[in-house]
Amino acid sequence: MRSAEGRGRTLDEAVDAALIELGESRRNVDVKVLSEGSEETVVEVTVIEAESDAVAAPADGKGEMARTLVEGLLKHMGIRAQVTTRQGSEPTTLDISGRDLGALIGWRGETLRALQSVTNVMVGRHLGEGERIIVDVERYRQRREHTVREIALRAARQVKMTGDAITLDAMQPFERRAIHLALEGDPEVTSSSIGEEPERRVVVGLRKPAAE
Amino acid sequence: MTARSAAERIRKAIALINAVEDGAGDEEITPTVIAEAIRDCLELSDVDRAPNVRRYLGEALDAVSDGMPADFVAMTLYAALGALQEGSPGA
Repeated sequence: MRSAEGRGRTLDEAVDAALIELGESRRNVDVKVLSEGSEETVVEVTVIEAESDAVAAPADGKGEMARTLVEGLLKHMGIRAQVTTRQGSEPTTLDISGRDLGALIGWRGETLRALQSVTNVMVGRHLGEGERIIVDVERYRQRREHTVREIALRAARQVKMTGDAITLDAMQPFERRAIHLALEGDPEVTSSSIGEEPERRVVVGLRKPAAE
Repeated sequence: MTARSAAERIRKAIALINAVEDGAGDEEITPTVIAEAIRDCLELSDVDRAPNVRRYLGEALDAVSDGMPADFVAMTLYAALGALQEGSPGA
């Protein structure tokens, strides 16, 4: 796994420095903030391995069936894109890649979710109880999960420094889940959700000491 | 009420279903809550301004009652949202 350290006055400058060293674009990397100060920010940038560049997994018939189906749907929609089955993923994940696929992701990932719903309905009778197919466009979900994890860790650092709870922006459930998972092992902070969908937000606060 | 608020209510119902599906770990959403959110949509007169919106919402409500998979309910609500947007001025 390739990674590089980047330094700069701002987070953006630090990330850019590492990206230049790696010769990668921002969409293909995971960013970890190592230190953040008023004068210098240090980050570690790791290239996300593109397993989906490989040919579609020969594995299960369900994945292949869903892949063919999504390929057909995209063709009917007039979208030129490649659909592959992500290898070794559980649940089965389809990766759609191509150029200018922003419209396929839609507002806050709405179109992507709709496509995933249609896919699951169409292959539903071949799936087991609770089994689902995940559809991802240009690794949007994965990149978004990486991003919200970084947001969570940064919020946790801030909470530890100031002692004040932080309420994050409204997020989708899979994003909130990523935040809860990122912070569940931290003994000093805790995360909870407030508000109603679709305005539900995660609050990161100090963990209260257990009552004796 | 505007078509925008009708769309917001449909989006809210979709978000509830997504919350159950993604298992955010902080939810207590039952089929009753989802059905209530769909009924809230049906109460708006705007759903009659565009063809098929009420029909799709009714199908989604039936799907919840029948215990159909969440994806099916979500897909039907997306269809309602699409019909609403197609039927609204400037669409």
